[in-house]
Amino acid sequence: MEKNLQEEFTPIVKFEPPLYKQRYQFVKDLVEKYKPKKVADLGCADCSLLWMLKFCSCIEVLAGLDICANVMREKMHTLSPLPVDYLQPSERSLTVTLHHGSVAHKDPCMLGFDLVTCIELIEHLEESELEKFPEVVFGFMAPSIVVISTPNSEFNSLLPRVMLYRHPDHKFEWSQAQFQSWALETARCYDYSVEFTGVGHPPTGMEKVGFCTQIGVFFRKHPQTGESVQSEKPMEAVYKTVFKAVYPSLKDEKYLQNAVINEVLFTAQIIKHRLMSKREEYSDDPETKSKFQSSMDCFSDYLGKLVVEKNMEPFVSGNEVYIPLTTIFSFPKVNRLCGTFEKLCKLIAGKVTLSSDGSAVMFNIEHENEEN
Amino acid sequence: TIGLQVSSGLQDLSLRDRGGRRRDFHDLGVNTRQAMVHVQESKTGFSGKMIKLTTNHFRLTSRPQWALYQYHVGYSPEMEARRLRSALLFQHEETIGKTHAFDGSILFLPKKLDNKVTELFSRTRNGEDVKITVTLTNELPPTSPTCLQFYNIIFRRLLKMLNLQQIGRNYYNPSDPVSIPNHRLMVWLGFTSSILQYEENIMLCADVSHKVLRGETVLDTMHSLHSQVGEERFRDTCAKELIGLIVLTKYNNRTYRIDDIDWDNNPKSTFRKSDGSEMSFVEYYKKQYNIEISDWMQPVLISQMKRKRGNIQGSVALIPELCSLTGLTDKMRSDFNMMKDLAIHTRLPPEQRQRELGRLLNYIQKDDNVQKELRNWGLSFDYKSVSFTGRVVQGEKIFQSGTMFDYNPQFADWTKETRGVPLIRSMPMDSWLLIYTRRNYDVANTLLQSLFKVTPSMGIRMNRPNMIEVDDRTEAYLRVLQQRVTPDIDIVVCILSSSRKDKYDAIKKYLCTDCPIPSQCVLARTLSKPQTIMTVATKIALQMNCKMGGELWSVEIPLKQVMIVGIDCYHDTVSGKQSIAGFVASLNQAVTRWFSRCVVQSRGQELVDGIKTCLQTALRNWSKWNKCLPSRIFVYRDGVGDGQLNTLVNYEVPQFLDCLKSIGTDYSPRLTVIVVKKRVGARFFAEIGGGLKNPPPGTVVDTVVTRPEWYDFFVVSQTVKNGCVAPTHYNVIYDTSQLKPDHVQRLTYKLCHMYYNWSGIIRVPAPCQYAHKLAFLVGQSIHREPNLTLSDRLYYL
Repeated sequence: MEKNLQEEFTPIVKFEPPLYKQRYQFVKDLVEKYKPKKVADLGCADCSLLWMLKFCSCIEVLAGLDICANVMREKMHTLSPLPVDYLQPSERSLTVTLHHGSVAHKDPCMLGFDLVTCIELIEHLEESELEKFPEVVFGFMAPSIVVISTPNSEFNSLLPRVMLYRHPDHKFEWSQAQFQSWALETARCYDYSVEFTGVGHPPTGMEKVGFCTQIGVFFRKHPQTGESVQSEKPMEAVYKTVFKAVYPSLKDEKYLQNAVINEVLFTAQIIKHRLMSKREEYSDDPETKSKFQSSMDCFSDYLGKLVVEKNMEPFVSGNEVYIPLTTIFSFPKVNRLCGTFEKLCKLIAGKVTLSSDGSAVMFNIEHENEEN
Repeated sequence: TIGLQVSSGLQDLSLRDRGGRRRDFHDLGVNTRQAMVHVQESKTGFSGKMIKLTTNHFRLTSRPQWALYQYHVGYSPEMEARRLRSALLFQHEETIGKTHAFDGSILFLPKKLDNKVTELFSRTRNGEDVKITVTLTNELPPTSPTCLQFYNIIFRRLLKMLNLQQIGRNYYNPSDPVSIPNHRLMVWLGFTSSILQYEENIMLCADVSHKVLRGETVLDTMHSLHSQVGEERFRDTCAKELIGLIVLTKYNNRTYRIDDIDWDNNPKSTFRKSDGSEMSFVEYYKKQYNIEISDWMQPVLISQMKRKRGNIQGSVALIPELCSLTGLTDKMRSDFNMMKDLAIHTRLPPEQRQRELGRLLNYIQKDDNVQKELRNWGLSFDYKSVSFTGRVVQGEKIFQSGTMFDYNPQFADWTKETRGVPLIRSMPMDSWLLIYTRRNYDVANTLLQSLFKVTPSMGIRMNRPNMIEVDDRTEAYLRVLQQRVTPDIDIVVCILSSSRKDKYDAIKKYLCTDCPIPSQCVLARTLSKPQTIMTVATKIALQMNCKMGGELWSVEIPLKQVMIVGIDCYHDTVSGKQSIAGFVASLNQAVTRWFSRCVVQSRGQELVDGIKTCLQTALRNWSKWNKCLPSRIFVYRDGVGDGQLNTLVNYEVPQFLDCLKSIGTDYSPRLTVIVVKKRVGARFFAEIGGGLKNPPPGTVVDTVVTRPEWYDFFVVSQTVKNGCVAPTHYNVIYDTSQLKPDHVQRLTYKLCHMYYNWSGIIRVPAPCQYAHKLAFLVGQSIHREPNLTLSDRLYYL
């Protein structure tokens, strides 16, 4: 939940990278391994873990929960989309939401998650809250994976400045045995398996004390049923939404259409530009006028072919330039965006000026270059 | 300026998230009016017709007896981290209240705490007890400079709350972009805002701003440049196109300026992290942001970080693939079609501009959180913009060789009226060169024929030129110039087949420095349209005439023995090394002849020394022409950046005075120094026929939206075809002329009629535009001071 300053500054044991970063990295590695789509961080504090996770491309829904709204607000703007996210919408969709509330309360917005992380959270819970915590997280939210980290009190002897607990707000700090028995009991109760690990290795020769931060990773053994059961009896929302950001994504038709139109017109412009500069080269030089004449013949040739075999060459007719959609579709970027030719036609319909039969993008060049 | 000192911490707070330089953008606390007795009472003019105007200013109101309470916050033991300091302080929100602004040491509250000194006790996470002492240091009235800065901070907070995205200094709405796919541009609509103390009220000046963003990365641009120019010129072209541009990165919300391109490094190169370890860019971006860099051969962009405090200078390396471009390049600006497409979206006519602004005000008014924040601070806005009356001064009469013209005030242009009338002073073209390439032979002849047709009525005597054919290479042009240009040549005309800059630069450099002869370059394409050739030839004839020392028209200048000076600066953005100040001073009573010099200075050098020398030579030349020294001097100083006013007042003006003193003990002319500013936020709209229109040329505003501590006014002098006209701001920072404000305003407007490259009224007084032209030519093409034998002619037009 927070960076325990103590751990970083003690002269005897110094962790590199700092322990809090190691904890975040642990979560990130887990995300890379299991590729969850929906991730919730309970006790998200200043959102730094969420900020790291927003860059993980598998995640589509990210939620944070904390009992203190102010600490979330402090840096929540870092979770907003960046200008570049609007300029180049990504393939994946991403929604980030922050809720203000307690892990001792159930709220339907926490249902359906694949991974729930509780980093340095439980030791801040009052006894009554801790009692309700397993039921809320494992029983109600029931995600596929739960990660819980907490200080290992056996390690405290190596942290000289620690008197009782590592942080004044800690309600308890558990030994390895205490944490493991709580975790095993919880896992058994809600049909999860649990694996123990940690970050912050003890110095050589003192391996017995275990990791500085102990971590339990819980895997749900039963297939997900909770959601359907819960949704039968609609629940009241008890959390307050503090922040919500929906990232622009190509999954959203609006952004996809925009991106496709942009790409189509830009590609067509490039082709047109090439075509026109070729023509200009000819017309500029009086000696090559004959060449231009012959290329005109070629263009009419193309016209003929177009009728027969839908030629992909762009052509000029009078004051108009035609660039066949098939040509545009053959450009990799357009192709990747649309997938199918039909989709391309559908997305640009009514938004891009096309030839009368709808097979080509049309530009009028009559008024161009007038002022130059 | 006491308020400014105590608020240095506040500035921190305001511009912290920008990551840029911290400056006093609004020149607060520079009070120049108090030294000018004759405008103590009133600085307003009187002439002209009244006109009803609306502006983009909105009154800020605070509840009665409002004050802002400023506290110093101390920690014992001392706490370093700013975050920790805030966290510890806000454990006591029940005492301090929910509404506050805190930068780590200075705390602002809308209410007064019970005691002058409040002691609070907090405990850190380590269990350390900390005593916090909150001491009242200031009770700030609504108009104090610190309060003004504070309002601006609060307003920025509001914009952030409205989910607007900050780019640079302004805020933009990302959710409703306009895309211009033909050019891969995207335009975001946003707002500029500043809250200042104006004549009678504190007001928000808000304007619509457009941010042009480009839907491609720097790497994309590099690829397309490569395919355009080929390997050989690739690196140079990249440097020219990209250096100086502002980029946004894919992973954070910062903007960076590209200062250099490092071709020796690539994403595989390593850099030293703050902890001392080495890491490659590829690894770093993968680890930090999960971003895979796909092109490992791309160079690295370098951005210099400038921080004022402690003078920390460092540089940041950026990966082209992860940077998006913003804004327009010079090349894009010269692309007529692109600018036309862009103008449709950015040049909003008055009504539409006000409507967009109304939308922002509406958001502010409708948003509960924003209203709550405002209420908590005890502030509110008038949601209707301020209206007042301005004046439209009468149009000037244009004199040309004994003939007098009125122009149509609606167009502010006298091209038609003066056609076929002899010029005041026409220079003969007895001996001149016409240089062209073989394929432009026809074009050269067309130009010649047309010049023979248009020059007689202007009174220009013209012989057949020496027609010289050259190869289309820079060296060929230069060789011809070296062989054929002799001192008796009046002018050299070169027809160029492309707008390639190197040829133009070489010609100008040679003919401005090595062999000082006026020159005229013409693009062949401009001459290729039969329907416009006469207009073009007329313009070229006039321009050439000025370059040889001719005079076109004049307006009545009622002051005697007056010298008018214009100064503008050009900053070389590409190499970032040179700055050029153009200096132009009138030579005669009619203000139709000009003496021009420039100062080329390297980075870090002070401008004023050079300007002093310029003024001295200008005075010498004036006395040579007039057989006496001027009794009045007006300096129109353009090219002053935001926040530089103080420097100008404290260093440049004394230098001018020093210079005048050095001329002679009994010489004390009346001096007026006016700072000219084209980029201002204020917009005026005339209420005509129930709608909003651009105010007509000659509109003067000197009340309501001017600043009480300055002797300043606005003039709308030009007209625009589309969009909103931008007023020019004039700030008289020094004035011993004893002239009434009305006369200074009128003189200023008159001078906007005197720019010979445009037979119409322009945005700034002619000497400023001449100085700009000169500085631009030297900065772009010549890079050193031109030969002084040219200094009595407008050779740089």
